[in-house]
Amino acid sequence: MAKQYDVLFRLLLLGDSGVGKTCLLCRFTDNEFHPSHISTIGVDFKMKTLEIDGIKVRIQIWDTAGQERYQTITKQYYRRAQGIFLVYDITSERSFQHIMKWASDVDEYAPDNIQRILIGNKSDEEEKRQVATGQGNKLAKDYGMDFFETSASTNYNITESFTRLAEQVLAANKKDLDLLRASVTDELNLAALEEEEGITDGAAASQKGCWC
Amino acid sequence: TISPTPQVLSLNMSTGMRRVGLTADAAREAGEDISRSTVACVRVGSTIMLDLVTDSPSGGTVRDPSSRLHLQSHKTTSLNCDPSSILSPGDEDEDGETFVELGAQGYSDLRFMDVSLSSRNTYESSRRQSAPGHIGLSVDSSELALHFFLCEPKSPSQNVPGWKLFGKVAARESPPKDSRTIQQESVPGGLTSVSAPNLLSEGEYEARAGKAGSGGTSPTQPQHGRRKNLDFEPLSTTALILEDRPSNLPAKSVEEAQRHRQEYDEMVAEAKKRELKEAQRKRKEMKERFKQEDSIANAMVVWNHDILPNWDNMRNTRRVRELWWQGLPPNVRGKVWSLAIGNELNITPELYDIFLSRAKERWRSFSETGTEADDGASLADRESSLDLIKLDISRTFPPLFIFQKGGPYHDLLHSVLGAYTCYRPDVGYVQGMSFIAAVLILNLEEADAFIAFANLLNKPCQLAFFRVDHDLMLKYFAAFEVFFEENLPRLFNHFQISNLTPDLYLIDWIFTLYSKSLPLDVACRVWDVFCRDGEEFLFRTGLGILRLYEDVLLQMDFIYSAQFLTRLPEDIDSDRLFACIATMPMLNGNKKWSQVSSSKHKKTGK
Repeated sequence: MAKQYDVLFRLLLLGDSGVGKTCLLCRFTDNEFHPSHISTIGVDFKMKTLEIDGIKVRIQIWDTAGQERYQTITKQYYRRAQGIFLVYDITSERSFQHIMKWASDVDEYAPDNIQRILIGNKSDEEEKRQVATGQGNKLAKDYGMDFFETSASTNYNITESFTRLAEQVLAANKKDLDLLRASVTDELNLAALEEEEGITDGAAASQKGCWC
Repeated sequence: TISPTPQVLSLNMSTGMRRVGLTADAAREAGEDISRSTVACVRVGSTIMLDLVTDSPSGGTVRDPSSRLHLQSHKTTSLNCDPSSILSPGDEDEDGETFVELGAQGYSDLRFMDVSLSSRNTYESSRRQSAPGHIGLSVDSSELALHFFLCEPKSPSQNVPGWKLFGKVAARESPPKDSRTIQQESVPGGLTSVSAPNLLSEGEYEARAGKAGSGGTSPTQPQHGRRKNLDFEPLSTTALILEDRPSNLPAKSVEEAQRHRQEYDEMVAEAKKRELKEAQRKRKEMKERFKQEDSIANAMVVWNHDILPNWDNMRNTRRVRELWWQGLPPNVRGKVWSLAIGNELNITPELYDIFLSRAKERWRSFSETGTEADDGASLADRESSLDLIKLDISRTFPPLFIFQKGGPYHDLLHSVLGAYTCYRPDVGYVQGMSFIAAVLILNLEEADAFIAFANLLNKPCQLAFFRVDHDLMLKYFAAFEVFFEENLPRLFNHFQISNLTPDLYLIDWIFTLYSKSLPLDVACRVWDVFCRDGEEFLFRTGLGILRLYEDVLLQMDFIYSAQFLTRLPEDIDSDRLFACIATMPMLNGNKKWSQVSSSKHKKTGK
């Protein structure tokens, strides 16, 4: 059967409770926005297939609970990711300050070549802004990350930021990718390289979209 | 040849108990109109609106209020949209109760649409002399709506046969048909139809009309009207229905006409079959519901009169345990939960009041000064805990709209959670608690809800999770895997290969005691037995869910399974789930859950 994707990788959404991680994700995968979303407990999953430079990229997105207490659990998932969104809320100074803590956890627990991107969400709530765009920019620069201000509510910069991180992950894994591309195997599967779930995609792909 | 892209539309109308057809000319007229209309939009919502507007003889468009039908359909998520709907017939008199059924076969493929209107009394929604200038039929239910909108007024000079929807009134100036005829007419088909397809050829139409007419009145009558029509204005739709082809094209061959007619008959038969089936299903459903209500009422009596007064003696009897398994009647639920959870912590309502006022004091000082008196715990943690409660309350069962700001239980939930953080600062507020408190609030009075909440969270499993004691949690997961492998080896293996570890779904399930992932009524039933059997039942329920969906899960890869398990289907049936749970004996060899889990705790214990 036709391949559903060429590459598969995992992105993780991190950030304080209520910064809008789930909303970003819903906007990206389903183009929906619910102002009062049910709290995320533990971890939630979504996926979407993008096409980048002619490569079909399926991204799994792991959406985590933001409460500090849950970090003991969610840290376990860092190592399974290739890319990480660090999300704060531009109307919450505290959530911005916590980015440093999130970033240092990522350094500690995530694989070395993990790709990160900084997101300042809720950019539509300008009147409540507590974190200037410049601050976000500076922090991102200090950490060597790209930076986007986004709004899940108005659908601002959502696709852009997800695509950017996906591109970065692709670029970071280019070596593996080229290797695979050169080889005769028709299945490029970054995740498979990492001992995980290289199986049964055919079966699952046939039910695409049924379980979302 | 014109390829028949059929939009078959059939309108069924009935008077009284009988299904009665439109008069032939009415049928044609309605048919014309509908066939002339275009399907502008397909969507399903929860209302069906049928708007009939006819032209007055003077040429102006008259919106007949009595012909405006509003239908409220129940939501249907199935692809075969068939909401049988109650229709409020505007300014109809009291016996003008009208029902409209609408069935669309196929979701993407809306070939056949069946609209049936039936009214206990005659529902006259047409006008004498009505030149159907305007029929707006808009169907809006949760998945599919159909907007027909059409405005093509005919020349008023024309002597157009009237048409009527229901009945008795012969709405035409040319030789009328009486209602008797109409009824007779309806007999052959059983189900009467106005068809507006280009499937129905002229010959066919006439044949049908003739057949219908053979019961009494002039079979040639319909022809009359048609001819008249054609003389003035050969509408494309007229051609579609009444002619095999538009008049500028050659006529249909006999075979083709024959075939089309057969196809049409098949469709009608199919529609009828569907309708019967649906009626049967509904009858069965109603019977089931009555039975259920009866058994709930009976159980309520038993619980209130036999069991609760003798709680300590009876709680462990076989009979009570069996009744318990079947689900507690909603109005004894809270009471039984309270009794079963117990009050080891000896919390009194007075104590609750003390903690509540302490919490309120804290909120006040926090909101006044922006900070609060420092009494040990880190300020940032306290601060975020307070904020987080506020944030989470609005994110607890958002579809219920009762815990959200301004909702009836918003403050209550806030109070219970706030009091708890004062009562147990060592545990504090942890996400997931709001769901547990909310379910308790739905079933118990405020103070009792708090008492049950505090005692529930004091159980070893809940304490391990809400303190996020990761090592302990891993031991619970490991114990779960022992039983998972024992009971569902294939799925266990499949999950292992996909690297779908139990923490990915169990965390959500255990933290919220299934109240987030299962429909609330099903979750409450799980709580019933959880109160009876303790933590073991939480993991057993997990296995039951995996068993229930084993077949689908075996077909899914990691991401689909993970998505599926964190968002279980909303139509999960509690009886089927409990039947699956019942097939999961929590035995590993001869070891019970408690033994397995405690051995895990020891083996790797710290």
